[in-house]
Amino acid sequence: MDLGEFETDNSVSCRLSSPIPDLCKNEDCCLGIDEAGRGPVLGPMVYGICFCPVSKKEDLKALKVADSKTLTETERENLFMKLDEAKSYVGWALQILSPNTISNSMLQRSKYNLNALSHDAAIGLVRYAIDSGVQLKEVFVDTVGPAEKYQEKLSQQFPGVEVTVRPKADSLFPVVSAASICAKVARDHAVKGWKFAEDLGDVDTDYGSGYPSDPKTKSWLLKYLDPVFGYPQFVRFSWSTAQTLLDTKAVTVHWDDDEEDGEKAAARQNNTSVLSYFSRKPSHGAHPREPHRFFSERKLQSVDTL
Amino acid sequence: MTTKKKRSPPTESDSWVLIAPDSVVASRKTRDPDATFVSLRNPATDGGSQYLFSNGDMQVFEVKAFSEDYRSWFIGQRVQRDGRLLYVTPVDPLFLLLPYLRKAGAEGKFQPLQQVVMDEDYPGCMRLLSCTHSVDSLHHVADEKEVGSMKFHRYSQEKTMEWLQKKVERIVRMLKKSDISVGGGVKSSTFIRVKEENHVTEVDYLCYAHGLISEYISEDLSKDLHKHLQLPEMSSPNKAEPPSKKRKLSDKPVEAGEDYTKFNSADFARKPPKKMTAAQKTLAKVDKTGMKTMSAFFSPKVKQENN
Repeated sequence: MDLGEFETDNSVSCRLSSPIPDLCKNEDCCLGIDEAGRGPVLGPMVYGICFCPVSKKEDLKALKVADSKTLTETERENLFMKLDEAKSYVGWALQILSPNTISNSMLQRSKYNLNALSHDAAIGLVRYAIDSGVQLKEVFVDTVGPAEKYQEKLSQQFPGVEVTVRPKADSLFPVVSAASICAKVARDHAVKGWKFAEDLGDVDTDYGSGYPSDPKTKSWLLKYLDPVFGYPQFVRFSWSTAQTLLDTKAVTVHWDDDEEDGEKAAARQNNTSVLSYFSRKPSHGAHPREPHRFFSERKLQSVDTL
Repeated sequence: MTTKKKRSPPTESDSWVLIAPDSVVASRKTRDPDATFVSLRNPATDGGSQYLFSNGDMQVFEVKAFSEDYRSWFIGQRVQRDGRLLYVTPVDPLFLLLPYLRKAGAEGKFQPLQQVVMDEDYPGCMRLLSCTHSVDSLHHVADEKEVGSMKFHRYSQEKTMEWLQKKVERIVRMLKKSDISVGGGVKSSTFIRVKEENHVTEVDYLCYAHGLISEYISEDLSKDLHKHLQLPEMSSPNKAEPPSKKRKLSDKPVEAGEDYTKFNSADFARKPPKKMTAAQKTLAKVDKTGMKTMSAFFSPKVKQENN
């Protein structure tokens, strides 16, 4: 699998896809959606779709695609090769969500959670297939969050397409298994060949599985924690594992959308609480005047000490 | 005319990012290596503020800081916690001399300047006397007498008012030129009006300019100037408040004057406490120490009643 396009800039989201088989443009098709790398604190999350004509479902089964989790890495690689060879009737597309995209989405001012991010990636891929001329009739999805709600969301997005959302769909429907293989292979490649945007020198690539529970991952996170910047972009900052380490080991950074207790924030900034502006002040002359609005509007203050 | 200057002082914590006129920066390299920050008495607050002398104390600058929460600097390979941006801008030394002249003027005598401008708390004030124009322009605010080679000064309120009025007029011209909103409706300088503010009057400009100059003079002088300029009554926050209505601080239902359910309302008070919603519960958890009840802000005296 050629991840070149993603590797040129691994800080953003990237779409990779196979050519659309002509057969898919003329016949009714089914499509499977699955994802890889949802849980790890390291590396990208990959969304994959795989589609083939409904009439070719059996051929896909014959390739013995199975849930990617039950396969070894080499088995997955081989199966992906087989899928690629079957390009006369099988097509795929991937959305690689970089860890940076995930961090930024989840930590931005208006929070964009992982489920919404996942759903939108899936919807985007199905939309891509339809826009590319795939005659889509059936969609099978492994669920993210409550299955019913997700099914309703997808059905609304794609009227005229029969949507089936099912937990464990990757072991039930070959087309979902195929999608899961594409996603998993892409994720493995992306993680293995990760090009660090940061100048870290010789990076220790022994970061284990990337899952928060992996002790290797944890010690890697500790090793590459910068007190000011935190982690390289390879790390999902929004993961609680990463955040806990940042909270304890890195310099405290305050943002203006921090959910801090009002009083506490006021105390920290050594500010008067907003309440004090409403209370009646005893009018003794020594009290400093409010600065003129020319200065207060521009946030300008006299400097008492340097 | 401005350059960004970064000082590299001995310790990390006392470095600033500041914008200063070229003349200040250039002078550091050439004849005057002593462009120095000095703490002087701020004429408006009577406390200390930072000023900068340069060119052999011929010029004095005030230091203002743009300071907003949640800001830090990245400077080269360093991070600076202090996210302030300091501005060094020229200030008329007469403003800084005025408090001393006024104090000495209370005695009504002509005095030599060296005797007037003395301050134990801010000894740097002596340097104001070497500023260009500071001695020459004293006649704007003081009567002068020359005896031999000695000059004597006495504060003049009349002259000062004339001088401040001229300053206000100049500010008004500047405000108009720089298109600064002075109308009461605009709360933020970043808020841009699409339509011209056509209801802004000359008086609005004068009031704004008066407020601005009051940042450089003492409070009583500001009041005198206000009278001198014949500006409309200042709306001090205390006076602007509407007459407060007393509201009972009890959790009994508020009763209307004519309430026909009044005599049936016994069960009103006995109602069991309602179940709180999730939002109310979180609100109830907030640490309320030091907080006042909302109604306290509307009553003249904060009177805690027992519930």
